[in-house]
Amino acid sequence: MSVFKLDPEVYKRYKDEVLKLCNSFQKIDQPGLSDKQIAERLGLDERTVTEIRCVAERDCYSLDEWEKAIEFKRKATLEWSALALKRPDLKPE
Amino acid sequence: MADLPSGATTQLKTFALKSGATVCGVADAAAFNARAPEKQRPDDLLPGARSVVVVGGAQPREGDWAATSPWVMQTMGTTERIQGVGRRLAQYIESEFGYYALYVPPGTASGDTPFLSLMLAAELAGLGSKSLAGPVLNRDHGFMYWSAVITTAPFEADAAEENPACPAPACREMWDRDRTTPCLATCPGDNGGCLSGKLENGRAVRTFYDAARCNTRVHTHWVGGFQKVLEETLNEPDRDKRKMLLYGDFFTRSLWAITYSSTNIAQCFECMRVCPAAHGLKEMK
Repeated sequence: MSVFKLDPEVYKRYKDEVLKLCNSFQKIDQPGLSDKQIAERLGLDERTVTEIRCVAERDCYSLDEWEKAIEFKRKATLEWSALALKRPDLKPE
Repeated sequence: MADLPSGATTQLKTFALKSGATVCGVADAAAFNARAPEKQRPDDLLPGARSVVVVGGAQPREGDWAATSPWVMQTMGTTERIQGVGRRLAQYIESEFGYYALYVPPGTASGDTPFLSLMLAAELAGLGSKSLAGPVLNRDHGFMYWSAVITTAPFEADAAEENPACPAPACREMWDRDRTTPCLATCPGDNGGCLSGKLENGRAVRTFYDAARCNTRVHTHWVGGFQKVLEETLNEPDRDKRKMLLYGDFFTRSLWAITYSSTNIAQCFECMRVCPAAHGLKEMK
């Protein structure tokens, strides 16, 4: 007995379609489909779709993007501090 | 309200405000059906649900917004305080009125999918409307945290807010002048950010949103960041390099965030920090 393990080949094949249809990544004025609805559309079982979605949510960007996030926030925060507190010396270089 | 005593909804809201909520509203449980996918609707979690009671509050203070370190808001920006109010409401509904009351858990049902969208609940309960940047903003209090209780009690539902807080007058002026707004300028989708949009007939219209990138910013030192570093570590054959990853600041901060907080925390506020409708409604000295 083990936890449910998704077949990497199945993941690669359906990742983009599941991401496009699901609700994880909000569409403009359009709710996504449930895992069950996606499963019916793609001819998969619901559990497989749930696993594809969960892995894909984390797989869109590499770790580099997380590092960029840190720099983005450091800079943006200081820019706001400088503006809100009227302290131009706080502006990031 | 056949079985509820007269004034029950007012009584509930008064209790919510006394318990620490800044605002409280009620959504009709059936109103979710048109806008939420299966398994994320009130009736999916509590069959027979009639109402969703939503409370908002625990806003960051102006000092938090003005802090020079992003890690201040990353630590203070938590749903924890308003969750306590939600839990009390659930208890109150069952003990006072005798109806089932399910406190909506703040975690996820699977992956990054919530049990119920608290932002949608806030909108349907008339407590705010979705901003161009994404978060639901209340007209009087701006950005706040939300908690919700699903119940079989048929409380009186509130109407959705008609006049959205977004775009603020200052944003309309900026749009007329520069064809951008503070949130779009700080996180531009066409330049490494998450958002694109426009103002059309005085209304905000979002045209692009990179949720995956937004996730790397909102949950930098959180579950996603933890998984990413762990993956990198497992793929790293050199023992010393593995140590640098595991003992380094990124992984350490992620562990602090995950283990210290038993609840949802947000870690990126930059679109809200510059938003005139989100905070700054009172001038500080």
